[in-house]
Amino acid sequence: MRKILLIKSILVLIFSAAFAQDRIVSGTVISAEDGFPMPGVTVMVKGTMIGTATDLDGNYSLSIPETNNVLVFRFVGSVFQETLVDSRSRINISLKPDTKSLEEFVVTGYSIQPKREITGAVSSVKGELIENLPMQSFDRALQGRAAGVHVSSANGLPGGAVNIRIRGTGSINAGNEPLYIVDGVQINTRDDATFTQSNPLAFLNTNDIESIEILKDAASAAIYGSQAANGVVIITTKKGKQGKARFNFNVFGGNSQPLKILDVYNSQDWYQLRKEAWTNTGSPIAEANTLNNMGILPSNWQSLSREQLDAVAADLSSYDWQRQMIGSGRIQNYELSISGGDDRTLFRISGSYNYQESTFRPVDFERGTLSLALSHQANPRLRIENNLNISTFGQNIPFATSGSFLGNPAFTSSLILPHNAIYNEDGSFNTNIAGVFNQNIAMVNAYNSGSQRTNTMVGSLAANYQILENLTFRSMVGLDYRIVQGDQFRDPRTPDGAGIRGRASVQSNWNVNFITTQTLNWFKTFALDHTLSILGGMEYRSETNEGLTGAAIGFPSYEFRTIQSGATPETISGFWSGYRRIGSFTSVNYDFRKKYMLTLTGRYDGSSRFGMDTQFGFFPSVRVGWVLKEESFLRDSEVVSELKIRASYGRTGNDQIGNFSARGFYGAAGNYAGAGGIRPIGLENRNLSWEINQSANFGLDFGLVSNKIIGSLDIFHRTSKNLLLDLPVIATNGFTSVTSNVGELVNKGIELEFTSINIERGSFKWSTSFNYTYIENEITKLYGGNMFLPSDPSIAVGHSVGTHFTQRYAGVNPATGRSMWYDVNGNITYQPVAADRVYLGNSLPSHFGGFQNAFYFKGFEAIVFFNYEYGRVIADGQYNFLRENGTRLTTNALREVADRRWTTPGQITDIPRPYAGGPEVRSVNMNTGSAALLKADYIRLKQLTLAYNFKPELIRGLGLATVRVFAQGINLWTYTDFPGYDPEFLGAATGIIPQTKNYTLGIQAGF
Amino acid sequence: MKIITYDMLKSFGLTALVVFSLISCDTILNVDPRQSIDGFDALNTPENMEAALNSPYARLRSVSAYGRNLTAFGDALADNGLATNNSGRIFNEARNQPYFHYTHWTNFYFGINELNLFLEAIPGIQSVPAVSQTTKNRWEGEAKFLRALFYFDLVKAYAYLPGVTVPELDKGGIPLVLEGVKTSDIEKALNRQTARSSVEQVYLQIYSDLEDAIRLLNDSRGVQFASQTASKALLSRVALYNRDWEKAVDLSSEVLASARGKLLEGEDYVAGWRMSVHPESIFDLRFENASESNGVNESIQATYTTIRNLENTDQVGGWGDFIPNPVFVNLMGISVTGTGASLAITNRGNDVRAFQYEVGLGRVANGSGRRMECIKFASKSGFAFGDNIPVIRKSEMLLNRMEAYFHLGKEDLALADLNTMKNARGLGNVLFEGEALLAEILLERRKELAFEGHRFFDLKRYGRDIIKQQGNIPFTDFRILANIPQAEVDGNKNLDQNAGY
Repeated sequence: MRKILLIKSILVLIFSAAFAQDRIVSGTVISAEDGFPMPGVTVMVKGTMIGTATDLDGNYSLSIPETNNVLVFRFVGSVFQETLVDSRSRINISLKPDTKSLEEFVVTGYSIQPKREITGAVSSVKGELIENLPMQSFDRALQGRAAGVHVSSANGLPGGAVNIRIRGTGSINAGNEPLYIVDGVQINTRDDATFTQSNPLAFLNTNDIESIEILKDAASAAIYGSQAANGVVIITTKKGKQGKARFNFNVFGGNSQPLKILDVYNSQDWYQLRKEAWTNTGSPIAEANTLNNMGILPSNWQSLSREQLDAVAADLSSYDWQRQMIGSGRIQNYELSISGGDDRTLFRISGSYNYQESTFRPVDFERGTLSLALSHQANPRLRIENNLNISTFGQNIPFATSGSFLGNPAFTSSLILPHNAIYNEDGSFNTNIAGVFNQNIAMVNAYNSGSQRTNTMVGSLAANYQILENLTFRSMVGLDYRIVQGDQFRDPRTPDGAGIRGRASVQSNWNVNFITTQTLNWFKTFALDHTLSILGGMEYRSETNEGLTGAAIGFPSYEFRTIQSGATPETISGFWSGYRRIGSFTSVNYDFRKKYMLTLTGRYDGSSRFGMDTQFGFFPSVRVGWVLKEESFLRDSEVVSELKIRASYGRTGNDQIGNFSARGFYGAAGNYAGAGGIRPIGLENRNLSWEINQSANFGLDFGLVSNKIIGSLDIFHRTSKNLLLDLPVIATNGFTSVTSNVGELVNKGIELEFTSINIERGSFKWSTSFNYTYIENEITKLYGGNMFLPSDPSIAVGHSVGTHFTQRYAGVNPATGRSMWYDVNGNITYQPVAADRVYLGNSLPSHFGGFQNAFYFKGFEAIVFFNYEYGRVIADGQYNFLRENGTRLTTNALREVADRRWTTPGQITDIPRPYAGGPEVRSVNMNTGSAALLKADYIRLKQLTLAYNFKPELIRGLGLATVRVFAQGINLWTYTDFPGYDPEFLGAATGIIPQTKNYTLGIQAGF
Repeated sequence: MKIITYDMLKSFGLTALVVFSLISCDTILNVDPRQSIDGFDALNTPENMEAALNSPYARLRSVSAYGRNLTAFGDALADNGLATNNSGRIFNEARNQPYFHYTHWTNFYFGINELNLFLEAIPGIQSVPAVSQTTKNRWEGEAKFLRALFYFDLVKAYAYLPGVTVPELDKGGIPLVLEGVKTSDIEKALNRQTARSSVEQVYLQIYSDLEDAIRLLNDSRGVQFASQTASKALLSRVALYNRDWEKAVDLSSEVLASARGKLLEGEDYVAGWRMSVHPESIFDLRFENASESNGVNESIQATYTTIRNLENTDQVGGWGDFIPNPVFVNLMGISVTGTGASLAITNRGNDVRAFQYEVGLGRVANGSGRRMECIKFASKSGFAFGDNIPVIRKSEMLLNRMEAYFHLGKEDLALADLNTMKNARGLGNVLFEGEALLAEILLERRKELAFEGHRFFDLKRYGRDIIKQQGNIPFTDFRILANIPQAEVDGNKNLDQNAGY
């Protein structure tokens, strides 16, 4: 947009203005934003028609009549500036961007709209906000940036899974992922990696992103039809800017540190705890039993006194397995971009290298990217555009991404008994490890190996043809192509590899996702007041995914680690899957004097995933807006600078089910005696269709005091109908379940976003951005009159998805030290049963958001960004193991928990007395019910950035246009009561690699 | 300006789509999977029929079936062993905790549905050249053998055995479904609610299937498949459970006379358990390769022993979760000394069966030192955790026959069979009569078939209490019957859950 205007201004204003007797003034105009020269800036002598425009290097030269003394510099999107010439002959100007303007453009469904004309609920995150963050994928960087968008990291794996929920969880069994679109190409976000998590969105270098738009309400998203129920995230990458080629070099490096090391017991404390546990069972030989558990019982123990046995434990050393396994990791990032162009061709090319280690060796992430954006105006009617993102990333894999595997360092390091030495005296690994965690994880971790690679190409080619002045045709083809490869070796020197003499596993997975979109755009203004624009289009998308996996066992020695060396092929397998989608859509926009706005959209969509009789559906929407500021009663208001109310209603679909869920098949399964087998898999449901989302949105956009405060407020009500649920089939009828459209749930909430400029005085500026979301989720209908799902009673009518359905903990009986629960009648019981379960707490947060303060002073910048969550109640599997205080299994205990244990009658506490071998007689596991549920509320200093931008004058001599140095910290501080590693995670948290603190230093130079 | 209506938009969409459809092919949304085939015509070639027949066999390998539970729980729920809690598995079953019982309901009813569909498909098979009657007979015979085995294993676990019941707890037999549900038949799948048939009806069906199988099959295929002799052997067991002594005698005699399986003696018996396919097998469940193994945690080897394999007896392999108890070790004539690290066998006596019990390695780190373990399944197939499982052995026929003879009053024949058995195991002749003879026959059966899944039913057949150190279970206790999966009862209003659950 900006470029077209720029071209025009050059054409219009290049004329010679040579007057005799005049002074010649020349100079350079640069952007205050990035320090680059600005071509096409209009330079006029005030009060005259004399003027010129800057050239490609931002230079101008102008003759000024004797009588005039003021120059005016103007550029679209910048604050216009006047300056006195006086006796100067060289005047350099830096133009500031016009931040007051709401005339910001927002990418929406198949079009670009001025922000002030938006009538749906759209959040926009500009690229600079997430620039240089040491995060591998932009989804992680979105956390806390937009109201209504809840982002949580599944764990701290670099390049690992990130969970995004736009306006809540709308589905129980189908997917809840939004649709991601990169430069018009709909991206597949399924993680195909077998050996670690490889977030497909990590293919894109975050610094190549110009902006991210999030379509939140169904009306905005409805034009994407059956794929849009969970919202749409539109990513626009950076494009070339007209002018001389600009180079931008950027480097940062640093390290990652653990968020937390858990304070666990040492050998003596553990001995004492376990001895108590044995004593509580009535054992007369508690000391001997404990030493036996620790594998250090002297053979002559029967002749030793209790004191002598205690002395054995008193002499033990303690080893810090967590600090052995968790360390700091390196972070490195280098990138170079070049952009420029002339009036016909614009280009931007960038390359980057990113490396990040987790705090658990050898887990890491290494990525190279190449990105190319090219556009060419072939003739006045035809413009060709090309975007290409090529990337490869490799990850050294963890033992497991999660889970209670003895060899998993993230699981075991806090639980292994502390008296176990890591190394023998001769420096070799100690393999005689006592306790249920009987593997030397340092050895296991050192010997096992494996890697995962993801190669991605996302590209598109588009032609825009202007058929008439007001009619444009655009044709786009795009490809999202991905290869995921992995290998893993279980070393025969480790317990998991020993029995099978080593196992090598490999995988290859191809994903080919093709899309083509054809659109026609028409607009007309009637009688100056009525503007009508119509968009119509068609889209086709096909995706195929196939893969191969194999494993072999029986390796000659640990030095042979690749699959061909295995003596016995163990498994060999492959698969193919695919689907197709076809749709046509239209959008009709009408406005009256930019004051009243109406948008109608509709999409007719079909997908091969659904039943034969229900493959097509229709998804309409309506949006209206009223710009009150344009009304006479507000037009002159000093306080209210912008005010718009908007309302929308729309319908979208969720098709995120298996590609063949509607079909009834015989599949290959049940091989016997060397011959292949087949058996029925799944019942056919010809009527299976998408989940329908209907959402209503009411919103308000405001600007106050010359837009020093701008913001918006939205209220939404999102109903998800025809939920895809599995109807159970009884086994005597031969099948488990059949997927059907039954059930209904509602998400409703409030979203608030605002940005204020608190102080802007001289070169000091302080601004604050804040966003807040309140959301409520409620299941309103299941099938067959069921009030809860038989297979999962926590899915219940009247409750939120993610509700805990379990027995309520009543604490510890002060007299006996035993755990108590409430039964169905509210009485105390020691053996709660299924019937005692009640609905307690919710694992989805009800309040969340972000809060940022930015300070600018003479080139210095400080950005302080927090994100917060409130209302989430979760069970942390890792904490649960620790909370058992080594009673059921011989595992280490958390000091904070174990110190609270009941020891003396009358003591009021929530941690029962230890009891060796598991629950007390006629009792149940101490973590049963709500005993181990935790509040996961937190406020986190997500980002702290300190930066300095050198004055352009200072560095111009070095041939540089901009130099910025910065120091950054991520996750530096967290306010929470959560006792585990990190309140932010998905799933059970057992044995996951937690998130890290990151510190980086960087420098960014433009020339 | 016209008002644009919902219908107009919809028709715009439709029109646009029609235009698009013209330029693409009309089958644009037809995407077929490549590793599956449509259910409605899957069973239409001889190749697919053969493949569909493999699947029910494979079901027998699962952990819920002979892969573990049907092999181990017969001992765990009864009185031959105890659980070590090394991995925690089978710990509750060995203590007869409510809800910790057989779990093959779902797996076997799925198998029955496959077999019903298979049997229904046989007459319609069209191919060139046409499928021979011999092949069709074999298909029908094998399918009926398997259906009979599934029903028999279901009815023995989820219902009382014929004639031995606790009336106040007895809810009858199990649902008898003989019609398949096709993958396209969603109506039937959601609405058919079959009630329990009586135990007698279920046994009649099993008899009928096995008699058909005996008529249709011969012994031309390997011991890993159903055969005429295997059908007779299974019917011999079914008849014994049904107290149909004449039939049990007849069929055991026929099997003993057949060439299939060999009754081993002395050293050969010891060696037989080391061979990939047990030479005594009449029907031997095949674990073909490592991918079919139930793994380091749940395979029968891992369940019974910590020894990786008998060539490397000092290397830890499985968990050794379920081991013989001291009473049983003593019964086998094995003498031991010491405990934990010092545990050693001092004497095995003359009974060669004692060689199937060995001092294991234990899982010291988990609190269990060295214990006596059963090594009937210790990587005998040549790879870890994938032992072939003899579902029916020839020696069982001798045991079936001696017991049936006894009940027919033919104590001399019973005693002769008993002594044949004892001699084969390295023991001398004995002389018993009356109840003492029956007791000795059942003791012999207990020793011979230990850790192969029989003991619990041998007690149940006689309505006897289970006497065990972990707590006795009277025959009148509800825990004698397994619990039907709750979802089955929830989804089938005609199906009664077993009492007590």
